[in-house]
Amino acid sequence: MKLSLNTQTNLKRALLSILIGLLLVGVVLKVSGYRPLECYKALWEGATGLSSGKPVSVSDKGFSVGGWEAHFSTYTFAQTLATFTPLLFCGLAIAIGIRAGLFNIGAQGQMTVGAMAAATVGAIGTNGSLQPVTGTLPPVVHLTLTLLAGVLVGGLWGAIAGVLKAKRGVHEVLSTIMLNYVAINLTNYFATHNLKDPNPSNMAAQTGLIAKSAWLAPLIARSNLTIGVAIAVLSAMGLAFLLWRTAFGYEIRAVGLGAEAARTAGIPLSKILIQTMALSGALAGAAGALEVMGIHHRFVQGTAGDYGFDGIAVALLGSVHPFGIVLSAAFFGALNNGANLMQLQTDAPKTVAVVIQAVIILLVGLRFKPKETPAPTTEKEE
Amino acid sequence: MGNSWLIALVTSTLFSAVPLVLAAMGGVLSERSGVVNIALEGFMLAGAFVGFYFGLHSVPMGIFAVLITGAILGLLHAFFTQKARMNPVVSGLGLNLLLAGATRYLALRLFPEGGHIDGLSPNLFLGLAILLPFLLLFTLNQTKFGLRLRAVGENPESARMAGIAPHPPRYWAVMLSGICGTTAGAYLSMADAHTFTSDMSAGKGYVALAAVIFGKWNPLGAAGGALFFGFFYALQTQLQINQYHLNALGIEWTSPFLLDCLPYLMTLLALVSVIGRATPPAALSIEED
Repeated sequence: MKLSLNTQTNLKRALLSILIGLLLVGVVLKVSGYRPLECYKALWEGATGLSSGKPVSVSDKGFSVGGWEAHFSTYTFAQTLATFTPLLFCGLAIAIGIRAGLFNIGAQGQMTVGAMAAATVGAIGTNGSLQPVTGTLPPVVHLTLTLLAGVLVGGLWGAIAGVLKAKRGVHEVLSTIMLNYVAINLTNYFATHNLKDPNPSNMAAQTGLIAKSAWLAPLIARSNLTIGVAIAVLSAMGLAFLLWRTAFGYEIRAVGLGAEAARTAGIPLSKILIQTMALSGALAGAAGALEVMGIHHRFVQGTAGDYGFDGIAVALLGSVHPFGIVLSAAFFGALNNGANLMQLQTDAPKTVAVVIQAVIILLVGLRFKPKETPAPTTEKEE
Repeated sequence: MGNSWLIALVTSTLFSAVPLVLAAMGGVLSERSGVVNIALEGFMLAGAFVGFYFGLHSVPMGIFAVLITGAILGLLHAFFTQKARMNPVVSGLGLNLLLAGATRYLALRLFPEGGHIDGLSPNLFLGLAILLPFLLLFTLNQTKFGLRLRAVGENPESARMAGIAPHPPRYWAVMLSGICGTTAGAYLSMADAHTFTSDMSAGKGYVALAAVIFGKWNPLGAAGGALFFGFFYALQTQLQINQYHLNALGIEWTSPFLLDCLPYLMTLLALVSVIGRATPPAALSIEED
């Protein structure tokens, strides 16, 4: 698949898309009988942690601007950053695929199997105990192994679609969607059978707790924010380096610009397709592993949330560039977290965040170039 | 018992295939005109939603809403991909996300307690699903519209040289594709479940698209593909209904989770076995290698 995707989404268009998306949802909320301004206020407070009035809890930092009292909730902001982390990983996963002309819709499944792998390796040394145990491995070793398990298994799951594409020409959009359903059902099977939570009173599809030696501690008390956020940002920098400063990155981009031309130039097409899908899956797998290590401390059904699909919007809004994706992941992290608070405070369903996301994808994708002059490099093979 | 079990399986296969066949015909129409259409998944969901919601008032109104919604959504996808020159996969994903979010939101607002409709007889949809592939085959091969549609799908440049503008046949094809998609969804809510639940299409739009590829973009082939996938949906349902148990090698093969994988795994296997030997409409491969 050759994507005739305009990767040069400029900042103006991105901001305009966001604005239209937000306004449209305001109209929808108004029509459904909610008070849009109240909703926006809750959305803003949940997104940034900034709100007016005196501090209300210990994690709030009070300040005043020209006599106007306001406070900053470090907890809320930490939650936004915690949501930012998997969004960034998934956005990067989708982006590297698109750079090679591959549309990986399977980040959801890859993240899910990554989470399951991390929960399995993280449970080393627990012996099915119901209480959290310290574990037998040194934390540094155990943390590394657990994260690597997620990366590896996510990568392998992604590589399946790469092999099918390279060897049999199966379109990756269809294969990754099918693999998503398989991944979700398969992990649910394991979470209810072989790797079931040993606690007999538990009825949910989840595994037992992982050992404490594989837990990531929260950076802000009680929040979901862990060191994972730094790993995500480092991955973005690493990916930018890989794409523009290494031979492998050059080959990925060459394949993305024209698979046949790249093959003619002596680039091993099959190998690049498989490796790119593996790398894409590995990034999504890392997101799954970090969710397990930092938040749930076990695999629970739906660990991957909707991050895999959200990643598509993140990548497109971020113009498929690692640094742009850092910004767009921050926006979507804020949006998701804001929508949660909005639902709590105003009862307006947080599903509206999905609508905003969809509107942004569509607006960013519009091109309207003159139809008589298709750009040969982005539109046609020859 | 054996015989009635077989009859149940065959019946179940036919009815599981109905939404897949209807959506697959939408896939054939759109893709033969040169427009990739993964938005079928969202179209199904939208059709299921409006069919149920307006069907609560009256069944004819439900049918009318399904057809109108399909036409509008189809035209929207056509507009995005043709006039706005959006990548068809991006347009499809965006529409799917929009329709999933919108139907979930509206379902929460309009009928938080769910609801029940008598709706329509499944046999009506079955009849449609039997008729439509032949009708489409005839249209594609024997009518001027079909010829133009295939011309712009195979080679838009030559079609243009021959005086056929690529856009009109594509707008028609994708609009009709939208109607097929929402009709397939209407079967789910109006004739099968008799209610609407969020995300009830559960990937059937994508499976239908796989059936199109499996059937090599031919209406009868795609219907055959839909029947093939329908069999695995049916097998999964029948094994669960009959509470058949099979445990071997320490694995509970008949666990609902593993049975749920079946249609998707078979779709994957079918794609692996067929592609490479199937030739997509040439204009689709402008964007493929």
